[in-house]
Amino acid sequence: MASSDLVTEGVTLMVFGMGFVFVFLTLLVLVTNLMSKVVTKYAPDVQPQPAASKAIPAAAGPTTDQSQITAVITAAIHQYRAQHKK
Amino acid sequence: MDKLLNLFVSSGIYQIQWGQAVMIAVGLLLLFLAIKKNFEPLLLVPIGFGGIMANIPEAGLALSAVENAVHLGGPEVLEQLANILGISSADPKAIKEAYALTSQAKHLEITQLAIDAGFNNGMLYNFYLVSIASGAAPLLIFMGVGAMTDFGPLLANPKTLFLGAAAQFGIFATVLGAVGLTALGVMDFSIQDAAAIGIIGGADGPTAIYVASLLAPHLLGAIAVAAYSYMALVPMIQPPIMRWLTTEDERKLAMTQLRPVSKNEKIFFPLLLLILVAMLLPDAAPLLGMFCFGNLMRECGVVERLSDTSQNALINIVTIFLGLSVGSKLSADKFLDLNTLGILMLGMVAFGIGTACGVLMAKGMNRLSSTPINPLIGSAGVSAVPMAARVSNKLGLEANSQNFLLMHAMGPNVAGVIGSAVAAGVMIKFVG
Repeated sequence: MASSDLVTEGVTLMVFGMGFVFVFLTLLVLVTNLMSKVVTKYAPDVQPQPAASKAIPAAAGPTTDQSQITAVITAAIHQYRAQHKK
Repeated sequence: MDKLLNLFVSSGIYQIQWGQAVMIAVGLLLLFLAIKKNFEPLLLVPIGFGGIMANIPEAGLALSAVENAVHLGGPEVLEQLANILGISSADPKAIKEAYALTSQAKHLEITQLAIDAGFNNGMLYNFYLVSIASGAAPLLIFMGVGAMTDFGPLLANPKTLFLGAAAQFGIFATVLGAVGLTALGVMDFSIQDAAAIGIIGGADGPTAIYVASLLAPHLLGAIAVAAYSYMALVPMIQPPIMRWLTTEDERKLAMTQLRPVSKNEKIFFPLLLLILVAMLLPDAAPLLGMFCFGNLMRECGVVERLSDTSQNALINIVTIFLGLSVGSKLSADKFLDLNTLGILMLGMVAFGIGTACGVLMAKGMNRLSSTPINPLIGSAGVSAVPMAARVSNKLGLEANSQNFLLMHAMGPNVAGVIGSAVAAGVMIKFVG
């Protein structure tokens, strides 16, 4: 008798527990979606970062045009030396 | 000559019981697994070492003042203890049994007597009181985990929360398994014990320890060891189940790029979660409250120092105390019985079922959803951050070398943390 009570208790715990976890997380999905919509509408980020972070690897990735970089650096050195010559 | 004999009688060699010797061997095994096999070393090293220290004969490091008095006290001390408890025999065993049954007021009186007689709490017992019995250590670790968690992938694809929910089925199925075994007369678990064992399936160490300390403190050692060992075994337990439940084509499925998530959304999310917990399930508030607090410190960007401390220095300090305290629960009389074997077995089953349910849920969602969902990310719904997500990523790459699932799997992974904390709250509410 006592043992069948225990099993009933276990089954109840499973049904309620699983049910509650799903209800809670479903609600969380709903409010999260709502929040995301509200935030993107009324308080969007100023987002220069993603564009910049994408641009840098794109330039650094293909290192085929070394000549251009070398030219730029050489020009900079020349300018620096010209300015600081006494 | 007498003095020499005395020294020998009080030595470890003379006093050691076989149970203690076995437990020291278990401690050494845990250290071996941690150091040589790299199984969750951050936890298993302190746990293993604490376990060895707890079983040093006669030192009583893991015992309370009263237990020490019963164990080491002379006949007159035992007589006094028996007097207060109102029992006639001064037999240590009878005293322990009577002590377990009396009220808190009596406990206080007896503790006072033991201290007067010159007995003190063991060092590890004090650690246990401060870190686990108070609930502080698991909650502080949860705060640190919150400070390390990036909810970005979850916010970009909130549907993955369902995967975190499905994987919690392992927890409740294991509860059923534990009461089933009790009903059949194989094991002897109460419903509280069963609930605490089930939480192992959540694959979340601090949650398991928190729930066990509230519902079944006597099983804490076994539950913590099982939870952390299986977390280390995630890369071995999960892949066969995942392969078995998915087809080659499903594993190859590539997912669409996640949208960028704004900073404001990340700041609002922990607050939103906190309010939802406060409204619906106050019993999960300690766990999820600390988790949200840690995450808010990370995302708000104005308390960099606090966030840094909670995810590095503080979590390390707490881990040391937590590990030693869990180790203190590995004393022979509490660990060496059939129930421990049952816990280890049920924990494994819990893990397997959780993984399977996550994968099946992801398969179902893939059928219904407009954007493709690779079923492999479902298994990450058991928490075990970030190990489970890495396993999903690895299996995805095996099937299709261009298929990077890591970020997609992080969504269900952190959802699993929330899911198991909610499940823990439900357990505490119903059977606590």
